[in-house]
Amino acid sequence: MGTANKNSDVLIIIPAYNESENIENIVDEITTGYPQYDYVVVNDGSSDDTARILKKRGYNHINCPINLGIGGAIQTGYRYAKANDYEIAVQIDGDGQHDPAYIAEIIAPIEKGEADYVIGSRFVNKEGFQSSFTRRLGIHFLSGLITVLCFHRVKDVTSGFRAVNRFFINVFAENYPIDYPEPEAILDAIMRRKRILELPVVMRERETGKSSINFKKSIYYMIKVTLDIIVCRISYGIRR
Amino acid sequence: MFQIIPKRLTIVLIIVIVAYFTIILSLLKHKKLNMKYTLLWLFTGVAFLILVLRPEILVWFLRMIGIVGTMNGLFLVLIGFLIMLVLSLTSIASRQASRITKLIQTQGLLEKRVRELEERLDKE
Repeated sequence: MGTANKNSDVLIIIPAYNESENIENIVDEITTGYPQYDYVVVNDGSSDDTARILKKRGYNHINCPINLGIGGAIQTGYRYAKANDYEIAVQIDGDGQHDPAYIAEIIAPIEKGEADYVIGSRFVNKEGFQSSFTRRLGIHFLSGLITVLCFHRVKDVTSGFRAVNRFFINVFAENYPIDYPEPEAILDAIMRRKRILELPVVMRERETGKSSINFKKSIYYMIKVTLDIIVCRISYGIRR
Repeated sequence: MFQIIPKRLTIVLIIVIVAYFTIILSLLKHKKLNMKYTLLWLFTGVAFLILVLRPEILVWFLRMIGIVGTMNGLFLVLIGFLIMLVLSLTSIASRQASRITKLIQTQGLLEKRVRELEERLDKE
């Protein structure tokens, strides 16, 4: 199911759930500053004006009729990337936290064939927005858990700024973790014995709107993600 | 040899089980139940029919696992069956959730293609 308007081998996937205030900024930043990449916005059943803005501005977008959550939305993007035969897929958040200026850097190792999965990390150089103390604590815990389970250290396991090659486009189009997918997707990549790279990026504090994870949700988040990681690790068996 | 279940209760239980099967069969007949998901219910009904007709099996089983009170044991067995049924329902719900996700994604991808085709037609 190909479409005619493919101009690049790189697809930027932008999931958007109720991002009517941010979405124009981020898409315009990409289309004016980085026209060499294709992009697709996945409107994840937003209840605000997101759908209308996407249509009015003529952005390349997919509308999910029902809210799937971030995992389901990202997977829609991967399915689109697979259907249209892209070589590289980059996922960035729809809230403006990620600076598209870093896309060239994080896809470079994939283009050179040196990595299969690249994570844009705010903790490598410790520059830019570092998130709150409690959140960093949670991230370090999950990072430690993954290190203990698979002997591979990834510092910023919750970063939504990632680039993958064709292999992972196909994998994730078929199967992508739901709910809070980022740490589990990393574990999946490690267990498939692929080359994972973490590169420094500077993240911005989100411009408007509020983060999707509040305090109450963060407890559920930690429990759910911890169990997910352990179950995912067990289901791969003793391969490392 | 005393009776484990009084005769009158046995008759009542048999009537109840027959009613249970009648309801399941009528739901199946009107396609309100999927046979695939009904097997566990039918199996439960058969198991209880056997226990009502041959209660000594239940007593033997309960003694074997170390339960003395027959009524307590009956409740335990019942709860066991219910947990199994609920677990199977949770598994069905999970599977359906992931299939619905796939469908929504496909619908979204198709909607995009239709939209683009319509736009192209409008231009021509």
